[in-house]
Amino acid sequence: MEKVSYDVVIVGAGLAGLMAAHEVASAGYNVAVISKVFPTRSHSAAAEGGIAAYIQGNSDPNDNPDYMTYDTVKGGDYLVDQDAAELLAYKSGEIVMLLERWGALFNRQPDGRVAVRYFGGQTYPRTRFVGDKTGMALLHTVYERTSGLGSVDFYFEWFAWELVEDDNRIRGIIAFDMRNMVPVFFKAKAVVIASGGMGMLYRHTTNSYINTGDGYAMALRAGAALKDPEFVQFHPTALYPSDILISEAARGEGAVLRNVKGERFMARYAPKKLDLAPRDIVSRAILTEVKEGRGFPGGYVGLDLTHLGEDYIKERLALAYEAAKSFAGIDATKEMIPVRPAQHYYMGGVDVDITGRNPDLIGLFAAGEAACVSVHGANRLGSNSLLETLVFGRETGRTVVEFLKSYTEPSSDIDKEAEKMIDSAYDVVKSESGVHFGEILEKLRDTMWDYVGVFRDENGLKTALSEIMKLREDMKKMYVLDKSKVYNTEFYNALELKNMLDLALVIATSALNRKESRGAHYRLDFPERDDQNWLKHTIAYLRGNSVEITYKPVKMTKWKPEVRVY
Amino acid sequence: MSLQNEEMDVVLKIKRYSPEKGYWWQEYKLKVDRFTQFTEALRRIKSEQDPTLAYRASCHMAVCGSCGMKINGEPRLACKTLVMDMAKKYGSNVITIEPMDYFKPVKDLIVDLDEFYQRMYKVKPRLYPHKDVLEGIVEQRLKPEDQRELWKFAQCIWCGLCVSACPVVVIDQQFLGPAAHAKGYRFLADPRDTITEERMKILIDSSWRCTYCYQCFNVCPRDIEPVTAIKKTRAYTRLAKEKTSVTQTGEKHIEAIFNSLLESGKLEEAKVYLSTYGLLGSIKDFIYLFQSGKVKYALVKEKPVENISEIRKILTGDNK
Ligand SMILES: Cc1cc2nc3c(=O)[nH]c(=O)nc-3n(C[C@H](O)[C@H](O)[C@H](O)COP(=O)(O)OP(=O)(O)OC[C@H]3O[C@@H](n4cnc5c(N)ncnc54)[C@H](O)[C@@H]3O)c2cc1C
Ligand code: SF4
Ligand code: SF4
Ligand code: FES
Repeated sequence: MEKVSYDVVIVGAGLAGLMAAHEVASAGYNVAVISKVFPTRSHSAAAEGGIAAYIQGNSDPNDNPDYMTYDTVKGGDYLVDQDAAELLAYKSGEIVMLLERWGALFNRQPDGRVAVRYFGGQTYPRTRFVGDKTGMALLHTVYERTSGLGSVDFYFEWFAWELVEDDNRIRGIIAFDMRNMVPVFFKAKAVVIASGGMGMLYRHTTNSYINTGDGYAMALRAGAALKDPEFVQFHPTALYPSDILISEAARGEGAVLRNVKGERFMARYAPKKLDLAPRDIVSRAILTEVKEGRGFPGGYVGLDLTHLGEDYIKERLALAYEAAKSFAGIDATKEMIPVRPAQHYYMGGVDVDITGRNPDLIGLFAAGEAACVSVHGANRLGSNSLLETLVFGRETGRTVVEFLKSYTEPSSDIDKEAEKMIDSAYDVVKSESGVHFGEILEKLRDTMWDYVGVFRDENGLKTALSEIMKLREDMKKMYVLDKSKVYNTEFYNALELKNMLDLALVIATSALNRKESRGAHYRLDFPERDDQNWLKHTIAYLRGNSVEITYKPVKMTKWKPEVRVY
Repeated sequence: MSLQNEEMDVVLKIKRYSPEKGYWWQEYKLKVDRFTQFTEALRRIKSEQDPTLAYRASCHMAVCGSCGMKINGEPRLACKTLVMDMAKKYGSNVITIEPMDYFKPVKDLIVDLDEFYQRMYKVKPRLYPHKDVLEGIVEQRLKPEDQRELWKFAQCIWCGLCVSACPVVVIDQQFLGPAAHAKGYRFLADPRDTITEERMKILIDSSWRCTYCYQCFNVCPRDIEPVTAIKKTRAYTRLAKEKTSVTQTGEKHIEAIFNSLLESGKLEEAKVYLSTYGLLGSIKDFIYLFQSGKVKYALVKEKPVENISEIRKILTGDNK
């Protein structure tokens, strides 16, 4: 077994991981960043609309960070930790200006200052943007910056597989060099999980192919909890059938949803807000139309822009127009864009506090979509996620630096444990014949979509759980056809599937457990929000084949729960 | 609305590679519809037919730069290309997929990009603003028009397609390649950057090595126009303190073209050539021209075009 040693290992080279790496490395510690893909291929690159920020002297004069906090808390259906939302709002301007100084090419006002636009759920406009490729612009900027530091080693096209832990204390991580399958034990004093989301668990998702939730599963197996794992966000307008996001901006500009009969069906579901109703309501409406036979064959509805006129569409909705053109062969000035809901974001994540620290394992930290600081609660507001990756990526980096300052070496030796964990990777695929990952994967994605999706109820969730348990059994017969040691993607897909099944079990169990509807978690059998019993965070542990659930109170500062009316 | 779906049976012929077995072609049959992207076709092959097939893909929306490959010989992003479009364009439902040219193969459609990344790092791809700006002591604003100009070249997704298509990269080690030039220019032209002198040293010599063949322009899926970045970089030559022989030759060439146009309004190849390479250097080539009987074209005396004064105005920027 090969071994290397670092002060800190960071899993993930998206915005959250890179920001944490920058912070730790700048303080003089040596850092390894492990990523399945070259950093700029991380999912952060796909973010379109923008990043929210209140900037002192460059915002609406009536706005202030408290309004921003309030919008976030209400958007999250009051499951948001309000101290975390405050921190997010108060540091937003500073972090965007830092990125600006690093060279991020934000769109400008005529006077040269960073420009701003409206996004859903904002009392005042706060979204800062770089064309319609904000994520790509920010990710390249932070990567280029961090790679210039020298004290950060990038291990890209490396697969992190298992946390090494001893006596509730993190000792490092096992990762494979994907190019030759060599397993390496990365000894580390601290590990930051910044591995992003898990969209591939669902048949339909706007996420990248690499978003398989590895970090959540790794943390669970090491004994750390996930917070609020039942909260999965679905976006109503993903392009059919490639599930590429068509931004909410389209409906903001006047686009209208129509069923196969040409009806503006939102009139039935949200008579006042119509097409601009919140994401969860629109998602449910679309799926109801499809279920009741008023969708198009294949299961989608139309997003009609044609009445807006060619010039307007090309100017204001360039990306929607382009995406429809390149990925669906549709001319949106003449035809409707085919859309349907798709999984979009994961509000749940590795349980951490406002400093990025996990309470279960000493030396474990998490940031970005992989973490649940709880700034999004039950439902994330648009353009708050990019902000979270940067603000909490940096906060976490700072906490890690403090942690390292008072670090003392443990005396026990854990090389033996690490050896065992490497074997466990091969265990996943030790059969010589049986099923390969694709067969189980497709069933899992269907199960999650059908029963743990936009609509949930007791029967469906129980069906899902028994199917997931069966798939976990099938996995024991999983085998890998490719015997090559060079870039064996089949082997890594099999490991990802194991991670997905661990996570699926936790999501489905937590969803069955929460007997109310809140934000993105909608129970047909409990359609009301129930603050009396459920205004609390789910804390879920994976214990072998079962899930142990406890609770944590939601942190309230200024804002009392109100009825969610739109 | 006319959202009809069509279906089609296609055969994807994929050029595969492994260090143990070398190259071979393998065919996969599948049904695609009007919307199927090549990345989705590959994903379906991998999960339904042959899990051993290796390729890169991440965002499936043309922003991450993972999925560069050759489809029916064209360098393309697999996610930005629809299967049915290619079948229709080539009038055949048999479509070939190969790894990108130029780079070393690793496995199937995956190539080694390390050398490509090295090229990118060579141009110091990050802003070096003034210390006070970096620390937030002073704010330096960026004009909207500067933002627009820089953003065009900043959008490179490091996919490597342009480099795989560039004829010069293969033969000239000193040439940084189109993508690195786009990145390099993005920072060279940023009014907030402080290492302009150093950037010119890195970029100018290399910029004169490009042949203006426009391959990079044609293949770039993000419409970056690396060749435009190279042209704009060349314009910095007059500011450079040290000039390499390549730069001097290039500069003379442009000057000669300029003078030729100023004099006659035409491009007089012979004169341009002579002033670029000097008399001695040209004699050898002239002998060749004599022998091949082409010299009569070279020695033709050009008459100035009729509206030469207009051309001179444009060239000298004199609008009076
Ligand atoms: C289409 C789309 C548009 C969006 N638009 C916006 C927007 O406009 N505004 C906004 O605020 N948010 C937006 N979001 C959400 C936002 O983009 C993401 O939540 C955010 O980028 C996540 O960043 P991250 O750093 O946490 O993780 P990611 O960027 O996903 O990075 C994860 C990293 O972890 C690595 N990794 C994962 N598993 C492993 C493993 N096993 N071994 C090694 N490495 C591993 C990956 O290689 C990658 O480097 C959008 C999301 C989508 C899907
Ligand atoms: S124009 Fe220049 S950089 Fe572009 S492909 Fe041709 S030689 Fe290469
Ligand atoms: S310039 Fe274009 S083709 Fe070249 S690497 Fe960048 S995005 Fe790809
Ligand atoms: S998969 Fe990201 S560019 Fe094609």
